[in-house]
Amino acid sequence: MSDTILKINNIEVKYHEVILVLKGVSIEIPRSGIVALLGANGAGKSTTLKSISGLLKHEDGAVTDGNIEFEGQRIDRKSAEEISRMGIVQVIEGRRVFEHLTVEENIKVGGHRRQKGFSVKDGLERVYHYFPRLKEKRNEVAGFVSGGEQQMTVVGRALMTLPKLILLDEPSMGLAPMLIHEIFNIITLLNKEQGISILLVEQNAKLALNVSPYAYVMENGRIVMDDTSETLRENPDIKDFYLGMTDIGSRKSFREIKHYKRRKRWLS
Amino acid sequence: MDFTLLMWALVNGVMIGSIYGLIALGWVLIYKCSGVLNLAMGELTLIGAYLCLTIYTFLVGIDFPFPFVGALILTLMASVVLGFLTERIFLDRLIGEPVLTIIMVTVGLMFVFRGLVGLIWSTDTRIFDPPVFSMDVYEVGGIIIEQVYLWSFTAAISLWVIFYLFFKYTRWGLSMQATADDEMAALSVGISARFVYSAAWIIAFMTAAVGGTFLGVKNGLNISIGELSLLVLPAVVLGGLNSIPGAIVGGIAIGVLQELSGFLLDPYFPGGVKDTAPYVFMIIFLLFKPYGLWGWVRIERV
Repeated sequence: MSDTILKINNIEVKYHEVILVLKGVSIEIPRSGIVALLGANGAGKSTTLKSISGLLKHEDGAVTDGNIEFEGQRIDRKSAEEISRMGIVQVIEGRRVFEHLTVEENIKVGGHRRQKGFSVKDGLERVYHYFPRLKEKRNEVAGFVSGGEQQMTVVGRALMTLPKLILLDEPSMGLAPMLIHEIFNIITLLNKEQGISILLVEQNAKLALNVSPYAYVMENGRIVMDDTSETLRENPDIKDFYLGMTDIGSRKSFREIKHYKRRKRWLS
Repeated sequence: MDFTLLMWALVNGVMIGSIYGLIALGWVLIYKCSGVLNLAMGELTLIGAYLCLTIYTFLVGIDFPFPFVGALILTLMASVVLGFLTERIFLDRLIGEPVLTIIMVTVGLMFVFRGLVGLIWSTDTRIFDPPVFSMDVYEVGGIIIEQVYLWSFTAAISLWVIFYLFFKYTRWGLSMQATADDEMAALSVGISARFVYSAAWIIAFMTAAVGGTFLGVKNGLNISIGELSLLVLPAVVLGGLNSIPGAIVGGIAIGVLQELSGFLLDPYFPGGVKDTAPYVFMIIFLLFKPYGLWGWVRIERV
């Protein structure tokens, strides 16, 4: 990968100075590319995103070893505000809209910082172009629109910061399959048309592997595997643990002891 | 019962209540943006009021044409600086610490500020001299309104309008509302928490200074203005801790309650009903509506 926009070099992250959450994570994201980060609950995916965006510092966490480079600059010591100014935005998990503001006000908040050649009007126009549904709901209070529209609102809000890299944390969580499909289409479109790089965290491995050409797999605060999505899809472990099948089409049986043995190999 | 007297108590209650509402607005803002109960609010009003008094005396001394208006504007400007400094010096380094710690710091600030005021301006009652407003009264339909009440009301309303426009139409105001709603999400789009906290303290200081000044003009200025400002607590509890319109309505309601209880109950319970009534009311009210009139109940969708 010659043109890398973000490079995480072997970082170690601790919360409250004692709880070791990430133990040597390295990830590279190509410019204008999509990379997926897979893993079970508590594997450290969200923490990885927060250490990139700087939000970690607000939860009393810190990158204690290794470094993160964005366009050649070290960012792991910078504040969330500085990092966002450089063009990184995180869409945090759980559709965190500003519940008491309207949809349009929510989106406007993303454009709170004035940048050269940016007007709130154009920004809104761009968001509504990708999310026409939001235009209809623009004057409704965000706390009361549907889950899918909330997810669109937060992605639209992130888009207003004119990001070069979006960190998406489980955009599919708790949404109907139809909506997930719609949102992922828009995300792919954003990547293609606007050239925005995306780091996608997902539990839904099948979906993530479809959208992104390259993926990393995390377990217990470590990257245990990384490869192109095609290769990963054929990998027996991935099939077993993430796609939920041992042989094509047949459900896997949890009685097999082999399953646990194989899992253990990753953890060591 | 004398109807005009009742109306008089009502009108005066609304007007004095508007000042409580103004101070309550500043208080609610800090609470909304940072979750901190600012117990030093009364002392902010003290500092603001004394500052205004000093500037007023100075301006009168140099024959400035509108000494009170000038003093008020200069006080507002000084409040911006003081609010900013207070936040930066005492509270900034505590961002991210438990809220209780920060609340205890505001208790500390309360004593420090009160001590400072005593040190600088002594504890005697001071009055605005020469009087700011003439003692002539307005009479509307038999109701007598003192000038100081009327101008307090005007000042409070103008500041409400200004703050309303600020929140509704500026990107800074929007950022503050966003932070109040969900701090983590606000940070994720690059809003500076430091900026929002400073702005909240600045606005709180401004409202406190104006409120304190008018209370001082009305009653004469001494340390008890600080305690009078504690009336924001029943006001905000009534309105709901995180509702700005609630703070205003709550303030006015407390003002009316004070005047009415003074007017109706004083004959039966001589002395002090006016001062305790709001707190008694607050306790009873909380039993029935713990969120206040417009407090946020979490929006939960099914």
